[in-house]
Amino acid sequence: MTNNPQQTARVGLFFLLGMALIWVTFETLSGGKLWFKDKGYQLVAGFDSLKELKTGDDVRMAGVKIGDVALTRLAGRRAEAVLRIDSDKRIKADATATIITQGLIGTGYVSIDLGSEAAPVLPAGAEIRTAATADLNTVMSQIGDLSRKLEGALGGLGSALNGDSRQPGLLQKVDAILAENRENLSRTTANLQQITDKVNRGEGTLGRLLHDSRLHDELLAGVAELKQGATQARGFLANAEELVAEVKRGRGTLGALVYDQKAADDLKASLASLREVSEQLAQGRGTLGQLLKDDSLVRETRALLKKADRAIDNLDDTGPITAVGVVANGLF
Amino acid sequence: MPAANSNSPLPGAAPAVGVKVEGLAKRFGTFEVLRGVSFTVQPGEIFVLMGPSGSGKSVLLKHLVGLERPSAGRTLVASHDGADPATRERVRMALVFQAGALFNSLSVYDNLALYPREHRLGDEAAIRDRVMRALQILSLENAVHKLPAELSGGMRKRVAIARALVMEPQLLLYDEPTSELDPVMSATITEIIATLRQRYQVTSIVVSHDRDLALSIADRVGILMGGQLVFLGPPADLRQPTDPRVADFLNPRIDLEHPRFKHLET
Amino acid sequence: MTARLLAWLPNPILQVLHGTGSALFLLVRSLRHLPSLPRQFGRFIEQCHLIGYTTMPIVGILSFFIGSVLALQSGHAGENVGYKQFIGALVGLTMARELGPVMAAVLLAGRVGSAIAAELASMKVYQEVDALETMNIPPERMLVLPRLAAVLTMMPVLTIMADLVGWFGGAIVAQYTHFISIEPASYFANLRQYMDFSDVLNGLIKAEIFGFTVVLVCCHIGLNTRGGPREIGASVTRAVVTSLILILVLDFFVTKALM
Repeated sequence: MTNNPQQTARVGLFFLLGMALIWVTFETLSGGKLWFKDKGYQLVAGFDSLKELKTGDDVRMAGVKIGDVALTRLAGRRAEAVLRIDSDKRIKADATATIITQGLIGTGYVSIDLGSEAAPVLPAGAEIRTAATADLNTVMSQIGDLSRKLEGALGGLGSALNGDSRQPGLLQKVDAILAENRENLSRTTANLQQITDKVNRGEGTLGRLLHDSRLHDELLAGVAELKQGATQARGFLANAEELVAEVKRGRGTLGALVYDQKAADDLKASLASLREVSEQLAQGRGTLGQLLKDDSLVRETRALLKKADRAIDNLDDTGPITAVGVVANGLF
Repeated sequence: MPAANSNSPLPGAAPAVGVKVEGLAKRFGTFEVLRGVSFTVQPGEIFVLMGPSGSGKSVLLKHLVGLERPSAGRTLVASHDGADPATRERVRMALVFQAGALFNSLSVYDNLALYPREHRLGDEAAIRDRVMRALQILSLENAVHKLPAELSGGMRKRVAIARALVMEPQLLLYDEPTSELDPVMSATITEIIATLRQRYQVTSIVVSHDRDLALSIADRVGILMGGQLVFLGPPADLRQPTDPRVADFLNPRIDLEHPRFKHLET
Repeated sequence: MTARLLAWLPNPILQVLHGTGSALFLLVRSLRHLPSLPRQFGRFIEQCHLIGYTTMPIVGILSFFIGSVLALQSGHAGENVGYKQFIGALVGLTMARELGPVMAAVLLAGRVGSAIAAELASMKVYQEVDALETMNIPPERMLVLPRLAAVLTMMPVLTIMADLVGWFGGAIVAQYTHFISIEPASYFANLRQYMDFSDVLNGLIKAEIFGFTVVLVCCHIGLNTRGGPREIGASVTRAVVTSLILILVLDFFVTKALM
């Protein structure tokens, strides 16, 4: 009843200040847009797996947020993400959506590329093209697969090298064959000469491997990359680390190859393929068998084996995976 | 609206009302405060309700203004049910509370002005006129801007009476108007009650245990004991009471040999 | 049927039900006098002054430190996990959606609710409320309605101030704490990126509900005080405790409802 005017003025000022602050906040946060979030329009993206993607994650085009994941659901044999796109953003029909997994705590987003200029615009509710991308997990499982295959392949080689107790060492066998077939060998020198010439000229894959140092470097670089990948992976993926550790402990064929001197000696002695060859040679069958009758072939074979020798000597100095590359290089 | 004679805040137009109490009973839990009380108060009468402390006098008064609901029986104010809140809109009743019940946050002036303001009885000037007249009647002009906390006990009661007067009541109820006051101030209040009745013919019900007040100004007296009316009649009849309880209440003999409190039932 | 059911209930539950019911009746009786609100303008302003203007400083101080502590704690915890750059959004969302309204309501309960309960309880004990009734002035109209209107007017103002002060408190801490050191620009950019006005609005709605409840409960408890002056203190305690419990219980349900 007896309000002093000062009190009324203070209350009025206070109230207006509050309203002004609310207005400023509104303008700042929603940019003067409507009261609530832009409803936008929806697109459907189907994937084999949504991985870490969840409702509310961003949809980004060229890195700029243009919407979010409104819904994730299973649709038959695939997973679908319903994407809410800001209504002022246009997606081209040939744009591709991929799921990007970001960081380790599992925040992901859907990345949509720009598409081509000329392509029509996707209408609301349409389905967008998708592509599966390799994320860290996929890469690691591929590395795992690769190493398993390598192990398998080298395992066969290893058993061949260790030899059967029934049969003599491969080298002696080769020597014996050579002695017996000296004549045959010299007879086929011409043919082999032709092949080795080709190899020397750098023709064919084998030749190029031997003579093109650039290729060698590339291979090395590739291997180095793989090595780098493995180093990174070591921090994150337990099984990868275990694998590497196992290799380091000298277990498994790869490990044996790399760290075990006896295995290296075995390798020096022979090659898996040579065993088969030698058997054929013993019977003097096939073109190769005939070729062996020439002296120069023997020289060539010696040279080849020397190369392998060198390569094996190198093994001790190099890292595990580079060593594989060197071995491969030396062998061919 | 109330265009009475200029020296009166009370309208001659609103006639005094009669009050009827019929078999009124009230219990709080298991405790029976009133057990079937019946009496009638004529319009313009001063009715003094006496009784020892805790006999239910104040509770009875609250029933008249609808602050309490009867457990049985009823009260009628000008033939309207006292328990019905609508009665307060039909009949203007004012209760002068024992402690005054002044609004502590408001000045004396605002205390008196509250009623006409809330009921929109004229503009600020008319209200001021009305308030000042009521204060004049009780010689309170000097206290206009004081807060209730700054007033003495006697003044507080007078302000309470003034606040009741501003309502221009048809029925004026006083709850212990002279309690806690010195004898002179009690006499003053007694005179005020009588004067107001004399001037404005307002029906007055006074709850009090002030014997002097009852004997000097009451038209009729009721004595309430243990929730029942033990006496109802003109004050003259009280001079030679027949009921020993009434006699003892009015003229308690102080007996140090056989002190009363040792015989009290608990 | 209902009476039999009620008789079965243990006393505390019965009291809660009774309190809820009579508080709602008080609300209905107050709302009946809504048309008379313009005439209560003076009291409305007086209550606005008490609820808004005089409560502002403490709300400001408290929310500043709440915002600061939020930034500090999340910065400390986030340093190792690597979500440090999300402090802006974290403080912004927490203040706007949760702590701004709750803190404003808690302070309202402590500062204004207690004052309301004390004032009305003393008016009740000293029979001022009875006096109003005999004067045919409904206490709801004069004592409750202006307060409810005032709290509805002032709560958004208090809350937005709590929000903003909290944000700035967080920004300052984020800038000057050595293990966080995030520039205000990136703090607020992050806040803006993850926040929408609907988050703030959500908090304002919550604050309105809390504030209204606090004032209604405190009026109700004050007006239902019985007995002597001792009961005034008991009523104040009860009003504040009930308010605080209600704020947090309501907070859960309102938050869920607004999600």
